[in-house]
Amino acid sequence: MEAAPAEQLSALLAACARRDRDAFARLYRASSAKLFGVALRILRRDDWAEEVLQESYVNIWNHAQDYRAGLSAPMTWMTSIVRNRCLDWLRRPSREVSDPDGVLVENTEADGPGPLDLLSRSSDARALAECLGRLEDRQRQAIMLAFFDGLSHSELAAHLRQPLGTVKTWVRRGLARLKVCLEPAK
Amino acid sequence: MKFRDSPELQQRLAGEYVLGTLRGAARARFQGWMRADASVRRVVDEWQGRLAPMAEAVAPVAPPRRVWEAIESRIAASRIATGVAPVRAGLWESLAFWRNLALLASGAAAALLGAVMLSAPAPQQPAPPPQIVRVPADVMPPSYVVVLSDPKTQKPVMMLSAMRKSDQLLVKRLDDSIVVPDKSLELWALPTGQPPKSLGLVAMEDKQMLKLSAAADQSLGAIPALAVSLEPKGGSPTGSPTGPVLYSGPCIMYW
Repeated sequence: MEAAPAEQLSALLAACARRDRDAFARLYRASSAKLFGVALRILRRDDWAEEVLQESYVNIWNHAQDYRAGLSAPMTWMTSIVRNRCLDWLRRPSREVSDPDGVLVENTEADGPGPLDLLSRSSDARALAECLGRLEDRQRQAIMLAFFDGLSHSELAAHLRQPLGTVKTWVRRGLARLKVCLEPAK
Repeated sequence: MKFRDSPELQQRLAGEYVLGTLRGAARARFQGWMRADASVRRVVDEWQGRLAPMAEAVAPVAPPRRVWEAIESRIAASRIATGVAPVRAGLWESLAFWRNLALLASGAAAALLGAVMLSAPAPQQPAPPPQIVRVPADVMPPSYVVVLSDPKTQKPVMMLSAMRKSDQLLVKRLDDSIVVPDKSLELWALPTGQPPKSLGLVAMEDKQMLKLSAAADQSLGAIPALAVSLEPKGGSPTGSPTGPVLYSGPCIMYW
């Protein structure tokens, strides 16, 4: 499903702030598949992703009046809510996602530039894809594994079979370079 | 503090927070800084703007229909509750309102009990006779118990308990998603025929000991219900609740 245009989602969020239930249903239809994909990728368990998606949309409904169209794109705002919920969910000690078969790393390696190619719909995403492309391979791989699959520093170290300090440095330098690279566009 | 004085450190931690590699205690600590400092929130917002577009590359997956059904029923429940939420300040201070809330809280518990009893399956055989257990005085459980729930979701969020002769009120958080940036949660006793009385601020911890003004028998004995309101950071400036009531529940002496 294609994501709805930002203006349309902004208008729906504004209507949600006025407690318009129909607008909320339309917002859900227009955005839930993308956000469920994000949650599922990080949590890797359907039941957890469903629970987090449910909490996230209740949150979106309750806080729609806090959304400021001028400050962030609607999908950015909603994605942040879902990702934060996912990461808070993983913080509970009994919940660790496992990757016994190493599917995760293989996929990411096989993906290569694949996911980046998809980042072409909005101008923000195009700028980000270009800047990600300019990072060193290992910096890009660490950042993408962390973002898409929700890996912590120590999980990254285990998956990439590198010392923790090395992986932390890749992430730190990669993020710093991304920031500089994206600066002129802002 | 080192963190406040170092824009580089703020940038680095905000980037790692948004990316998701900041975990555990470090993540919780950073969320505390975000709550306390608008400039940190701004840095985080900027990072979200930078990194969130990556999510466009994630393959969409249609969630099962039950997710929407669950969301809808939670929203419907909250609509009943938000009928109360945008009330003017005058009403919040009115005794009748708080008394009604106390009644509502115990009424809701009764209604819930009724629902449970009605939906219980018909017993196949007669229930066994009640067994009377005599508990020695020194192993008595806490005798004042309050379960505060969110009227929007009907979910219990906090459990409070105190021994009769003790002035220690144990506050146990049941839902660790209760987070209120820039605000405080204040706990109120709702005595019959009197204004709400503050019992203190609720900490964002799993467990907390609140000191009561006197032993529970004196301070909670005549209190039918408790409630938690949303207040400015540091608590209500007026000594009465000023913000919306988020959670409430009946105060029960069961021993």
